[in-house]
Amino acid sequence: MPISIVVPQLGESVAEGTVSRWLKQVGEKVRREEPLVEIQTDKINVEIPSPAEGVLQAITVPEGTTVLVGTEIGVLAGADEAVAFAAPAAVTSTPARAAQPAPVTAHAAPAPAGADYGNGGGLPGEPRQLSPAVRKIMREQAVSLREVDAIRGSGLAGRVTRDDLLEYLATRGAQPAPVVAAAAPGPREEIVPFSKVRKLIAENMVRAKHTAAHTHCFDETDMGAIVALRKEWGPRLEAQGIKLTYMPFFIKAVVFALREFPWVNGEVRGESLVVKKYYNIGMAVGRDDKGLIVPNIKDCDRKNLVRLAAEVNDLAARARADRLKPDEIQDGTFSITNAGVYGAINSSPVINVPEVAILGVHKIVERPVVRDGQIVARPMMNASIGFDHRVVDGELAVKFLRRVCELLEKPELLWFHV
Amino acid sequence: MRPLDACALGPTSYRDGLRLQESLVRARAAGQTGDWLLFPDHPPVLTVGRGGRAGSLRADPATLARLGIEVFEVARGGDITWHGPGQLVGYTIVDLTPRGRDTHRFLRDLEQALIRVLGDYGIAGACVPGRTGVWVEGEKIASIGIAVRRWVGYHGFALNVAPDLASFDLIHPCGLRGIRMTSMAARLGAENVPLEEVRARVAAALALQLGYDAVRWTAPDEARSFLERGIEAAETTLDHHAA
Repeated sequence: MPISIVVPQLGESVAEGTVSRWLKQVGEKVRREEPLVEIQTDKINVEIPSPAEGVLQAITVPEGTTVLVGTEIGVLAGADEAVAFAAPAAVTSTPARAAQPAPVTAHAAPAPAGADYGNGGGLPGEPRQLSPAVRKIMREQAVSLREVDAIRGSGLAGRVTRDDLLEYLATRGAQPAPVVAAAAPGPREEIVPFSKVRKLIAENMVRAKHTAAHTHCFDETDMGAIVALRKEWGPRLEAQGIKLTYMPFFIKAVVFALREFPWVNGEVRGESLVVKKYYNIGMAVGRDDKGLIVPNIKDCDRKNLVRLAAEVNDLAARARADRLKPDEIQDGTFSITNAGVYGAINSSPVINVPEVAILGVHKIVERPVVRDGQIVARPMMNASIGFDHRVVDGELAVKFLRRVCELLEKPELLWFHV
Repeated sequence: MRPLDACALGPTSYRDGLRLQESLVRARAAGQTGDWLLFPDHPPVLTVGRGGRAGSLRADPATLARLGIEVFEVARGGDITWHGPGQLVGYTIVDLTPRGRDTHRFLRDLEQALIRVLGDYGIAGACVPGRTGVWVEGEKIASIGIAVRRWVGYHGFALNVAPDLASFDLIHPCGLRGIRMTSMAARLGAENVPLEEVRARVAAALALQLGYDAVRWTAPDEARSFLERGIEAAETTLDHHAA
């Protein structure tokens, strides 16, 4: 009998393991108790000894893949069967099969992994009463589970054995050849294990939602002045190799407002609020499936708009290329997230703890607004603030947000403090 | 349970330490000896575990060559780490079968023992779920990485007593971006923390946590008597470019 190699129990609280290294190749002989495969879980890497002497017949889970404990990751042919399995052609060249051209076509189009062949993905709930040898033949000959279900098994408890299946295949050609491989539906679900980054994001998000008393409020601002400034200065900076986005303007306005409302630039430490006298402004950078990251620009209060624009470019590019320096994601004091780049017109952002507030900026949309009793079209943007209500009261949050909106509406306020 | 055999090996190259570990694992699996706790003093070295990823090593080959730092790829769990002077490296050769082969519990036991020792010095160490090791206010003070062969655990932990923390700038420790390392000396604001004293406390705390009756300190020669001649360390030195 072929022997299934499964991820063993690695401890009471251990649900899954990652195949870190196969120590034998398919077709290679292995002695009983000889290390066969390494499984890593957390910071511990375990060599799994071979359960028996034999030949490694199949690797069903490749290196780097994380699977549940109990999952079959490979198949070992017992010593007595080793010869038969070392020559897998023996199965396909069964005389009765040679005359059946139709299934051969199906065989030539290999079934997608995870298709309906009981291919030993080993997920809970999957039928496990089929031996690895049976499943292997099913895979090779594109036999569906439905077909196998219809076979009267001669094994224990009506189990379909390898011989049963071969016998079935010998007569299968008499029926209209099922084009299983082509018609087989793909799996309806896909399991994507969390990457390390995703795990960290998940932890941070849950910690943020658990610790900070998240509350949000919303405002809107007329971006006409900033749109005009950007239109005028954008091409000039472009000539210097600097792409002028809206982010530097948001940073400028935020830093100005933070100076007026210092508590918003704080951190909860124990039962104290630590108010920061420096302004390291984080910006959320989406990186598709690599996961969100929030690098920050240091000492924004001491940098002019052009310098900020250059640093925004640089930081975003390096965040996407995975080339941030460690200190660039530490010591932020306040964050800005721009959901507008993806088209959102409003959002309720999660605070980048231990900071106490985050500004959400959005898509700028031409909207009808009333100015001096007249309806006019203006480039409007909604702005939101997520704040930790433990330390930032609603009044403070609203005033801060209003101030940011006002500064964006009338950037001249940055020079004429009123 | 029998006593835990402990040994301060003195100056030991990483390669020799690995050979000794592998010999002891073999002897332990064959029932020829008990569990061991080895403390080698390694010259600066980088090791990459099975969780290693490209990009965890920040230093370029020329820098490493100039500093005379070798990079070893080893079968333990975890990503890249640095070992060197000022660090208490402990190798735990422990049969996991009597412990129910519970790998995560073993990691937690190591963490708890180290946290207890830090507590003796007034340092509040903590474990962070999903980030094995010991942390002090978000900074990492001890790393853990274990390999298991024939259900005998080896490799172990590295506690930063008073190393030059700049050494960690060569790497992204444990593959975590933006991680900060700390040390007992840094936390205590002390020039020097006696490594021998920390070593004795760690051995005692580990014995207690893992349920041994006592610690039996042995001379290096006793540990080295298990060293099998002709057995080369299975691990290989990484080609610096491949790292």
